[in-house]
Amino acid sequence: MITPRVCGICSHSHVNATILAIEDCYKNLGIDLKLTNKAKYIRELVLNAEKIQNHIKWFYFLILPELFKINKAKFAQTEAFKDKEWFEAQNALSSILKMGAIFSGQWPHGSYAMSGGVTCDPLESDILNAKNYLFEVKEFCEERLYGCSIDEFLELDNIFDLIDGNSTLDLAVTFMKESGFDKIGKSYDRFISFGDHKGVNEPVKALKTRLFKTDIKFVEESLKNSFFDSSEKGFTYSKSAVYKDKFYEVGPLARLMISKDPMIRDCHRRCTDSVITRIIARVKEIAMLLKRSENILENIDIGEKSLTAPKYMPKDISSQGVGVVEAARGTLIHKIWVEEGKIVKFDIIPPTVWNLGNGTPLNPAIAQKAIIGLSSIEEADFVFKSFDICSVCTTQ
Amino acid sequence: MSNFHPKKTIVWIQGITCNGDSHSFFNYSSMKSFANNFEIIYHPLLLTDYNLEEILTSRDKYDYLIIEGSFTKVRDYVDRCGYSFEELVENLSKRVDYIICAGTCASFGGIFRERDKINITGGLFSGDKEGGYWSKNKKVINIPGCPIHPRWLVDTLLILKDEKKLLLDEFLRPKEVFSYFVHHGCLRNEYFEWKIDTKNFGEKEGCLFYEQGCRGPMTHANCNKILWNEVSSKTRAGSPCLGCTEPDFPRTSVYETKTRMSLPAVPYGISKRAYYTVTGVAKSFRVDRLEQKLIEEKR
Ligand code: SF4
Repeated sequence: MITPRVCGICSHSHVNATILAIEDCYKNLGIDLKLTNKAKYIRELVLNAEKIQNHIKWFYFLILPELFKINKAKFAQTEAFKDKEWFEAQNALSSILKMGAIFSGQWPHGSYAMSGGVTCDPLESDILNAKNYLFEVKEFCEERLYGCSIDEFLELDNIFDLIDGNSTLDLAVTFMKESGFDKIGKSYDRFISFGDHKGVNEPVKALKTRLFKTDIKFVEESLKNSFFDSSEKGFTYSKSAVYKDKFYEVGPLARLMISKDPMIRDCHRRCTDSVITRIIARVKEIAMLLKRSENILENIDIGEKSLTAPKYMPKDISSQGVGVVEAARGTLIHKIWVEEGKIVKFDIIPPTVWNLGNGTPLNPAIAQKAIIGLSSIEEADFVFKSFDICSVCTTQ
Repeated sequence: MSNFHPKKTIVWIQGITCNGDSHSFFNYSSMKSFANNFEIIYHPLLLTDYNLEEILTSRDKYDYLIIEGSFTKVRDYVDRCGYSFEELVENLSKRVDYIICAGTCASFGGIFRERDKINITGGLFSGDKEGGYWSKNKKVINIPGCPIHPRWLVDTLLILKDEKKLLLDEFLRPKEVFSYFVHHGCLRNEYFEWKIDTKNFGEKEGCLFYEQGCRGPMTHANCNKILWNEVSSKTRAGSPCLGCTEPDFPRTSVYETKTRMSLPAVPYGISKRAYYTVTGVAKSFRVDRLEQKLIEEKR
């Protein structure tokens, strides 16, 4: 119950991570909870709704307004609380959350998952209703954002091919390219991802385009350069997550580099890990998640059980476990230590501490490295927004 | 866009928060109508025409101050662009007609109050005790909920704007919303009447009161009347109500209804004698229909 309240925009990712950590506790005692496909599908669907919402909100509430600041005439159609397309985007994000809420009861702060499965027990008509909401969002993305069908968009292996001035993404990409955004916001070109996502269900890191297996046990949370009170050094509440002492970028760009997505790999070849690649990756993920959710809705078998109850109550177990989720902004890790059913220790490593960790001048963290050498505060601000640094999850 | 009435102005600030109330508000389903009635002068998550500095140094009057998140006077807990939370509140609260404490944190202290019950409170309450950040403030309206429902917020704003009567309960919550219980409109009511519990999570059948600790009968809110995200609610999706609109949220024992010598807690405002008598009677009958699956598959 507490964990969704860690963060209002990623609440269901936190629910999932906690439940996965508890299920891992069972697994480490040799108890396999055997989730049904239905339960797994519903968890993923609810999570997809949250991610799609996140991505659309970020693009329309953060990125476009920044571009609007630079060029009012070009981006006038997306002004918040004023223009048609902004209202359409707001409607799309609330519709995709309706799709999710059919299964989670509400968003944010549902408590739809339990060890062994999910709490809802949908009917065919609920699935149909969910499809309708998904259709609405798909239509918005096709008409406004991409200017082509989701399938066509997913087929593209060169984003710059798409550009014919038809869609908002076109407009943004062309404008960012003209403004030199393919040259700024570069970091280490090092990526990592631990959770399940398209085509990749094992921990992998990438140094530029080369992939390496990784193991979560080498992840460390460092307080080295964090100061929890205002001292002369300036202060920050952020901790840092490092893998074998090195900073890695997490998030959609990392996921798509690791899953060798042709469009993003192509974009990376031209623009490396600049803001433009980071932004395109996140917008691309919307299409992938829509497609994936559509498949899930086709395949859910409502005849299966929603929940396979654990034979032992949590209150009888002593164990420890790790839960990993690929949230909108990247890998989210929950670690949990249980003694006789009581949680004695709980540790959360949210995506933002990977990207916004605190380095030193000689060894800057991901986002720090990306802003070094920029000519203005505005540029730095934009680069920060491309990572969508989330202050809420940092301070937990 | 038609604009016959001048728009009312809103300034939105945050104490200690997870942003959940803001994100819940962004789901509001008639946003165009909202925008036709109100103008958000400042919101920390939106790119508004004015920044915080400009708002604080202006002398303009605004109509509504919306506060999201727990209140604190401790500077280290909240720092917004160099201002403490107290500076924000002192500066703005005098220049508005109404102060809306949006969400359980702003109303009663909520989940963040668990960390420091002395220094982290709600606006006018600390838990269910009167006296939070202020001891008195006539402008305050509490709209608890973790998170707030977008309609609770916008409906209240519209009632104020239209100068209709807004009745408040003893915790300063709008009665239109908080005279209802989450139990009202729950699809499991018949199971509750006959005291038939759900066998397990993940089923349409059965009430979540005894085994799963549903707080529906004690929690003031119209969740099952207007639904969440317009489609569902916790109990409809099979998870028990956690009582998130009440001053005692978060409670330590969730997912269990306190049984006193195997007698369960009673619904709000119903005497123990009445409740246990009815329970005893209901339990002494077996209702076959309710013991079966809602939809039986007969081949
Ligand atoms: S599940 Fe909760 S709200 Fe629904 S009938 Fe039972 S006690 Fe009431």
